[in-house]
Amino acid sequence: MFPAVLSMRRRIDQWTRRRHPPQRQTARLERQRIYILPTGFGYVFGLMLGIMFLWAINYNNSLSFALTFLLAAVALVAMRRTHDNLLHLCISPGKADAVFVGQEARFTFHLEHSDSQKRYGIALQSRQGDPCFTDVPVGSGGSLILTIQATQRGWLQAGRLRVLTRFPLDLFQAWSWVEFEQACLVYPRPQGSLPLPLAASRMQGAGGGETGVGSEDFAGLRPYRPGDAPRHVAWKAAARRGELLVKRFTDQARSELWLDWDLLASADIETRLSQLCLWVLKAEGEQLNYGLHLPGVVVPPARGEGHRRQCLETLALYGLPKDG
Amino acid sequence: MLNKRHAKPSPPLSDVALQWLIAALGFTVLPHLGHLPVWAGILVFGVAAWRGWIIGNPRMKLPGRWLRISLTLLVVLAVLLSFKTLFGREAGVALLAAMMAMKLLEARTHRDGLVLLLLGYFLVMSNLLYSQSPLMAIYLFGVVIVLLAAQIMVRRQHVALPTRGALRLSLRLSLQALPVMLILFVLFPRIPGPLWGLPKDAHSGLTGLDDKMTPGAISQLIASPEVAFRVRFAGPVPPANQLYWRGPVLWRYDGTSWTRSLDLPRQRFPYTVQGKSIDYTVVLQPHGNRWLFALELPYSLPPDSGLTTAFEMLRRNPVNELMRYPVRSYPHYQTGDLEPVWRWRALQLPPGNPRARALALEWRATQAEPAGVVRTALAYIREQDFFYTLEPPAELVEHNIDHFLFDTRRGFCEHFASSFVFLMRAAGIPARVVTGYQGGEINTLGGYFIVRQSDAHAWAEVWLQGQGWIRVDPTAAVSPARIEGGIQAAIDPVSLPFMARRGVSWLHELALSWDTLNTLWNEWVLAYGPDLQREFLSGLGFGPIDGWGMTIGMIVALGLLIALFAAAHLLSRRAAADPAVRLYERFCARLARRGLMRQAHEGPLDFTARAALRYPQWAAQLRRIGQLYASLRYGRALPDAAALRQFRQSIGAFKG
Amino acid sequence: MSALHPPISEPMHRDRLEAAVSQVGTVILGKQRAIRLALTCVLARGHLLIEDLPGMGKTILAHALASSLGLQYQRIQFTSDLLPADILGAAIYETQRAGFVFHPGPVFSQLILADEINRATPKTQSALLEAMEEHQVTTEGETRPLPQPFFVIATQNPSYQVGTFPLPESQLDRFLMRIELGYPDSEAERALLQGRDRRELVTQLARRLSSEDLMTAQSAVADVYVSSPLIDYLQSLLQFSRQSPLFRVGLSPRAGLALLGAARAWAFLSQRDHVLPEDIQAVLPAVVGHRLHPSEEFLNEPIPNLVARLITAVAVS
Repeated sequence: MFPAVLSMRRRIDQWTRRRHPPQRQTARLERQRIYILPTGFGYVFGLMLGIMFLWAINYNNSLSFALTFLLAAVALVAMRRTHDNLLHLCISPGKADAVFVGQEARFTFHLEHSDSQKRYGIALQSRQGDPCFTDVPVGSGGSLILTIQATQRGWLQAGRLRVLTRFPLDLFQAWSWVEFEQACLVYPRPQGSLPLPLAASRMQGAGGGETGVGSEDFAGLRPYRPGDAPRHVAWKAAARRGELLVKRFTDQARSELWLDWDLLASADIETRLSQLCLWVLKAEGEQLNYGLHLPGVVVPPARGEGHRRQCLETLALYGLPKDG
Repeated sequence: MLNKRHAKPSPPLSDVALQWLIAALGFTVLPHLGHLPVWAGILVFGVAAWRGWIIGNPRMKLPGRWLRISLTLLVVLAVLLSFKTLFGREAGVALLAAMMAMKLLEARTHRDGLVLLLLGYFLVMSNLLYSQSPLMAIYLFGVVIVLLAAQIMVRRQHVALPTRGALRLSLRLSLQALPVMLILFVLFPRIPGPLWGLPKDAHSGLTGLDDKMTPGAISQLIASPEVAFRVRFAGPVPPANQLYWRGPVLWRYDGTSWTRSLDLPRQRFPYTVQGKSIDYTVVLQPHGNRWLFALELPYSLPPDSGLTTAFEMLRRNPVNELMRYPVRSYPHYQTGDLEPVWRWRALQLPPGNPRARALALEWRATQAEPAGVVRTALAYIREQDFFYTLEPPAELVEHNIDHFLFDTRRGFCEHFASSFVFLMRAAGIPARVVTGYQGGEINTLGGYFIVRQSDAHAWAEVWLQGQGWIRVDPTAAVSPARIEGGIQAAIDPVSLPFMARRGVSWLHELALSWDTLNTLWNEWVLAYGPDLQREFLSGLGFGPIDGWGMTIGMIVALGLLIALFAAAHLLSRRAAADPAVRLYERFCARLARRGLMRQAHEGPLDFTARAALRYPQWAAQLRRIGQLYASLRYGRALPDAAALRQFRQSIGAFKG
Repeated sequence: MSALHPPISEPMHRDRLEAAVSQVGTVILGKQRAIRLALTCVLARGHLLIEDLPGMGKTILAHALASSLGLQYQRIQFTSDLLPADILGAAIYETQRAGFVFHPGPVFSQLILADEINRATPKTQSALLEAMEEHQVTTEGETRPLPQPFFVIATQNPSYQVGTFPLPESQLDRFLMRIELGYPDSEAERALLQGRDRRELVTQLARRLSSEDLMTAQSAVADVYVSSPLIDYLQSLLQFSRQSPLFRVGLSPRAGLALLGAARAWAFLSQRDHVLPEDIQAVLPAVVGHRLHPSEEFLNEPIPNLVARLITAVAVS
């Protein structure tokens, strides 16, 4: 595209942004911020009216004039209707659950109005995406979920959204711009080839040299080594396999798996974060007690949904400016 | 088709939308069934039914591409074979309907739906080429509503609008559009058409007098109850024997039929008039020919028309649309000399009919002057046993005048006129046949006069030295009732079409009321063209008005209408518009222009407090405005003039 | 102002009320809004429910209010073994008089702090609630009126704590308002930590109003003017709460009256003789918060958010 057009577009963007700054709460669409133009079909319809008009002149057919004027008048009335379909519509941001890079972030929006009639065919459209349509029933209460591809970790905002409608006749499109402070947290893409650093990491077990030995949770079988306590021998399994096997126990509460930045060799921050992210998910999946160690940030070892979220959040926001 | 930039495929057309489209398109083609070729009707309704049937039948598949292309070619070929052309009204409509059917066959996406809609609107319009009656108008208005509902439904992949809701919405849109349409219809500057050549068959199927009178031509016309024209007299209705509506004048006789001569219209009147004038307005139905009808003899010309040597009023273009024109006629007139070339024409006779010639020569020999010959001939018709009947016996090819005069003596006005003129010419008196209408029916309800095709008539004119052309109606001699009481009095009513019978029953009354409606419709809706528009608007007291004036008037009227709607809206929103509210709204609008918008839920104190934060330089003023408004609007005391003035002043003083 | 606001019967009451508010504010730091709401509640002749964790200053608030308003104060600690008679009082046989003599319970006071009301059994709860509703107590066939003014502050632990009997919904709207005190902000907390013991301070509070003054103020509140546009606004709020899918059930007419009463009192406290939309918006969260329940669709959203959306969705008229 030409630079002039681009700068023009940027200027229009800035202008609309100044007119409609980002909002935290509900945005109510007032007359001043609703724009309206014919749709593609609207132009074709206009062309049809032109042909009909010429036809009417040519045949000097009075009712053909009437029909042409009727359709033109209907188009005018429909234009007003399209405009009113957006008027006084309230849009408020809902929740946006965190996602991973590569997934689709789902932003929820609530649409409401205080009319006595349902409003049909109202859409939200993000800058790149397709419009996403819904109906807003009487009183209030349509919900819309807008999906945006998450390509980068950190805070993802839906950005400036176009609220649009073409109801009822698809001849005109009325639209308005809204922008909310609502943001969705994007975790790094869980990716990497390394297994969990069970051995290499700084495990602090109770049983000296043995990794994570405890007495509470059964953690599998291993061949007998001299010195193992006889009460730990799995006699049934040993009978089946023909060799002595010892039940292994770990004490999860006390073993700590550190997911350490320094364990990774890659130069790229994002690759490292991806690997760490994968580890977090794996460690949580295996019910391990894990902590996160990044330069400048330490998340002490723990387990559970809240901890997982904290770790992922730390990874997502690592190295990004605070106000992101 | 709409937008090439759209690379993504158009979304599918929903089943409900398709059902609506099929219904709407069926309604548009329905009135065409009378004139579409049978195959086209079967094609359209067959395809529509099949397409509608497979909606509920997901296993059925739409025909493939090659089948569709070959079908389309076949259809074009069929149109070509049926009409020998692809152009023109008949072929065009058939092609449009068939293409619509083809599109329906492949309709599966939203975009196909839009194309079908456009075709539907064109099909609605094509119906108007055949009929513009009030009933058709109502029917097509209904069809438009269904089409609009279909247009709403086509968008339906996004909206769960119930079917009845769509219909109600489209009805509402159409009704709201009516006032706008009315303004456009009345005030949109009309350009006189046509802009380019019309297809030859554009106006076929119109009935009326021809420029040729073959035996039986007029009796055929008499079988038609159709209205030829309607007349509104400014004064009293003239007596029946003056109601001769002059049409084509026929000079040439070839032994069987009479034809017009080439005769150019001019802008002057080759006769003098005397006595009282008759002023009236004619609303002429389209008849596809150039002549206009007027009482004998007219002394004013409608626009774009002239008078021929035979005193026919001719228009520049054929009358293909309803035409309304005022005329002034004088029943008493005096025509001048006869130029030799016309005299020669008025005496031309083909060979044959020896007995009639002999009779004419005998009269000429016995009478001293031509006027005597005329009298003798009329007396002959009156006294011999001639009969006026609609069912004359079969005619001979040769000597048919002889056959009528001496053998059968039963005939219709055309026989009498034709024989009389023959006799006159044979006797050396210049004579010609005049066709037109005689009489008519008064519609007391609408206060106008209806002239139907069944009032068609033919009479004679002879030229006498010193008197000029004078009208002689031999039919009056044989059947005076025909002239005095109209065709109904002269003929057994049962042989006439129903509408042409008069004074029979209340049904006829009803029919007359219907005709009144039709007349108003014709006069004010169908005939509303550039001339009537100008006449109407200057009649409203705007004086002479041109296209620009109309455009301005139209914009003003539309603006007024919008203002009216807005006012009604505002009034209904706040029945008692509080002046304080208006002032406050103005104040809010002023701040909104600065970029500080009042949220709808914000009360006056909250809003002004917020504004004061934004504009600390005006904080005190803003707060005061908020407090004043709050107590004016919500306070105990009724807002008195002083408080209101104070509020107005503080808003006025605010320079934000 | 004066030209538009005709003087109100007792302007001095308002100054004293203001003084009471600021005095309570010296004890409960950083809770100006909660104190105003509590006072609004008193003025509107309603009762107050405070839902909060222990240690947030509920008792102090009640005590300070009682002292400043000159009300006779009683605190009832609700426990699972508390019986209705422990609240209402009982007839006891007195040998000197040789008959049953009614010994009024703690409910016969002007200000009652019903602490941890949800720890008592429903039977005991309803004994208090009925007394609150009817302003009288009926025992052994005798009806005894409660003192005037009569004001109950009930506190409730968040219902997820164990061993509680949550108040049934039908009883909840006996309370005009429900508020939460919440944690103080850091500045207030600092002042709190540095200052003297609150309990000691409360005892030293001066009496700012007599109970007669309070009753005159209460009747003046009923005269606060409500204009027709304001009624329109209130109606559209109620209408919206009923039509919108945010809530399971909309606001009842009783809720509407409660809202109006509270808004009147709030306007009175704000030195105005008429109600503004702002007044309604100020009391709305406290008045309707415990009367509304989110619908299925909005279960995850906290009620205050939904109430905020109710406010933003309805235009003032």
